[in-house]
Amino acid sequence: MKKAVISEAFLQQVESLQMLIKNNVAGMFGGNRKSKNYGSSCEFADYRDYMPGDDTTKIDWNAYARFDKLYQKLYLDERQMHTRIYIDGSRSMQYGDNKKAEQALKLTAALAYIAVADMDKVSVYVIRGKELEEVFTGIVGKEAFFREVGKLDEIEFYGDSEISNAILPTKVGYGDGMSVLISDFLTDDNYERAIDYMTDKKRHVFCMQILSQEELKPQARGKMHFYDSENADKVYRKNIDKEIAQAYKLALSYTIDRIQNYCMARGADYMMVSAEHSIAEVFFGKMVDMGVLK
Amino acid sequence: MRFLYPLGLIGLVGIPILIIIYIIKNKYTEQTVSSTYLWELSERFLKRKKPISRLAGLISLLLQVFAVAFLSVALARPVFILPNSANDYCFVLDGSGSMNMMQGENTRLELAKSEIEKVIDDAKDGSTYTLVYVGETTGVVYEKLEDKKRALTLLSEIQPTYLSDGVENAIVIAQEYFNENPAQLTYLVTDKAYEGCQYIELVNVATAQENYAVSSITYEQNGDNLLSVRTEVVSYESDKNLTVAFYLNGSETPTATKTVQAKKLIFTPVAFDCEDLDFDSLCVRVQETDALPVDNETVLFNAEKENEYTALLVSDRPFFIQKIIETVGKAEMTVKTAEEYTALKEEEKVGYDLYIFDSVKPSVLPDDGAVWFFNLSESLDKTGFSYQNTVEIESKSGAEMELVSDGSTTAMALTKDLDGKTISFSRYIKYGRMRNFTTIFEYEGNPLVFSGTNDYGNREVVFAFDLHDTNLPLKMDYIVLCRNLLNYSFPTVVERVSYESGENAKINIVSGCKNIRIESPSGKVSYLDTNDESTSFLLSEVGTYRIVMTVGETPRVFHLYSSLGEGERNPTATSETVNLQGQASSEKRDGKYQELIIYFICLSLLFLADWGVYCYDKYQLR
Repeated sequence: MKKAVISEAFLQQVESLQMLIKNNVAGMFGGNRKSKNYGSSCEFADYRDYMPGDDTTKIDWNAYARFDKLYQKLYLDERQMHTRIYIDGSRSMQYGDNKKAEQALKLTAALAYIAVADMDKVSVYVIRGKELEEVFTGIVGKEAFFREVGKLDEIEFYGDSEISNAILPTKVGYGDGMSVLISDFLTDDNYERAIDYMTDKKRHVFCMQILSQEELKPQARGKMHFYDSENADKVYRKNIDKEIAQAYKLALSYTIDRIQNYCMARGADYMMVSAEHSIAEVFFGKMVDMGVLK
Repeated sequence: MRFLYPLGLIGLVGIPILIIIYIIKNKYTEQTVSSTYLWELSERFLKRKKPISRLAGLISLLLQVFAVAFLSVALARPVFILPNSANDYCFVLDGSGSMNMMQGENTRLELAKSEIEKVIDDAKDGSTYTLVYVGETTGVVYEKLEDKKRALTLLSEIQPTYLSDGVENAIVIAQEYFNENPAQLTYLVTDKAYEGCQYIELVNVATAQENYAVSSITYEQNGDNLLSVRTEVVSYESDKNLTVAFYLNGSETPTATKTVQAKKLIFTPVAFDCEDLDFDSLCVRVQETDALPVDNETVLFNAEKENEYTALLVSDRPFFIQKIIETVGKAEMTVKTAEEYTALKEEEKVGYDLYIFDSVKPSVLPDDGAVWFFNLSESLDKTGFSYQNTVEIESKSGAEMELVSDGSTTAMALTKDLDGKTISFSRYIKYGRMRNFTTIFEYEGNPLVFSGTNDYGNREVVFAFDLHDTNLPLKMDYIVLCRNLLNYSFPTVVERVSYESGENAKINIVSGCKNIRIESPSGKVSYLDTNDESTSFLLSEVGTYRIVMTVGETPRVFHLYSSLGEGERNPTATSETVNLQGQASSEKRDGKYQELIIYFICLSLLFLADWGVYCYDKYQLR
């Protein structure tokens, strides 16, 4: 089965969009984003006294003629943003004809492409149990993207995932871009710690919750024996009637509200995506509406 | 309990099927979901379930099982046995003429039927009903019938009669059923006051009712132009002054009316004078209204007039024949010479009841009446005999003919009262006979007087000589022979015109008779067999019967009157006893209860309840 199939026409459309970053970031590498530090971009920022050893090409000779003193022109530094995408690699992402996993990979590919198109650095990880598994890291430029994007197809979804335990031990960078967390978040795992950790690191966190149609509107009725896809020992056996269906809706609403409210409180972005949605709908609709893209 | 249609219980197979369906339907469906997290979390939001919800499926199954069980049992038509609660009933219903008597709005027969209906209605299911009807003939209408509705329907279809075969025969039948089951309850439903009924419950539907009657009419000629008509009237219930009217020839206006003081149960004579000697009918009627109108009048028809017929005599010397026919016959004679007859048109040669050809050969044999031939010296088609030769007796004193009889009924009738001696003749004709004829006189084996039927089936009489060549016309035997021959060839159709209902009326069949149609007083039409010389039919009604006999193309109409029998006019006057012999038993038969309505009510309730549970379970109606 071919995953992360994103047409070239779609990628061209996505390319035309710019990632909207709320604040300038202090990246390690140059890029198209403005840094809080002074650098070598063409955009003038300020003057300072010339000090020996400074770049003589940036002395403002007009100011020297007027004030007879050497001033060094300072420019805003354009740093590279490092977009880190974390994919939940658990088995539950395969539920619903694999559409959740496909959706996750498509979103990953699209976000990565947008990042590299903006001269950002992109890293993609798979959360596998308590560990992070690198898919590709630090790729820059479209050439590298197209070289590496095929690795997304090789991602297998199995086992479970512990988002916090996997992310907390890793370097997530500091103030240098966006961290995208893609998962169904149908877990008791304390993923809030991971969000806290990344926001503390001045990362812009973007949580994408992918749910299948069967999870959003389950059709099961009557006597059902549900097996948990991640843990065969976990079962739910019940006569699904209208009361339980109502309770399920409340539980779903509670789960969505929980992560959404938490993200809002931490200044993170949150978006719920149906596995049935097309990438175009997600990017041109939801993400533009939310201001993530412009 | 037993079942009328045990095959209906096959429906019980539906119960295990239902249970299997229930088990299959209620098996947990296994399914893998991405995570049971949301389902488990939903438990926190689940309201406490009502106990009925958990049992809904089971209740539905139980209701359906009960419904299938009830339906199967209902189809099998269960019959609950109620020991010793039912009886065998035997009803003897009197349907004689007196049961036509009105009592209030209904006849006695209708009251009798309603009495039986009450008993049947009140009887326990499982009882049997036997109905013996006493009417024209006594017979069993139904026996040991368990179906109440059928019994009541057949009872309602019983029609009144004017006859009674006698209750005795019905009691004999009831006795047979009683012998089979001494516990049988026997009812005699009648209007007659029987005494000393043993093992028979008498249901007398009669109450005192005024009833008058007229007995049969007689008349005699009183002087040259006067008839004295006599009859008797009676009042059965009380002394009464009765107005008696006399009607002539079917007129609606009475010719004379008389008031008669009739003593109870005493027949009081009434006489009227009638100037019409050639009357068609005489009728006497009591004018007062009573409970039984059918015996309030009586009619007498003129039999002689109705039996008249027409005859054509073709002879050049008709004296002997004409006189004897006019004397002993009832014919309206037309006499023609041979020349006159030949000159007649063809349509004028037909239409007679009797044709007599004396020494004359007709061109064709008439096909619409009896034919007599005298001295026919030529052969004629379809007569059944042929001319051979004429024989002259050489002796001057002639020869004597010999009276013969083959012993048959016809021969006996034809030779009745004949002496047959010293009848001489001088010449005769030899005929060859092609079918069986009855010979009356013969000479040396040659038939001289014989009779039979021709090819048209009409009666035929042949004299093989000329009357003028014998001394027969001078003999007493001539009168007797002609009377016998006339009676044979043209018998009196209706010899008697007054009967009592229940009697058989005799009809003599004349030559050329094609059919006999009988119209009863109530308008019922029937046809009689015309193959024999006479026939008869039962007079089952009271009133005037009309008999239409088609002879050739001509219908001849006769009437006779059937009056109500004396025994039916005053049914209360009896002291007879009716008993069943043997020893009655009190052992009853088992009753039954087989009402299905309770099953249908239960079924309806079960289906309704199941539907409610289904809706509750499916749509959570609450």
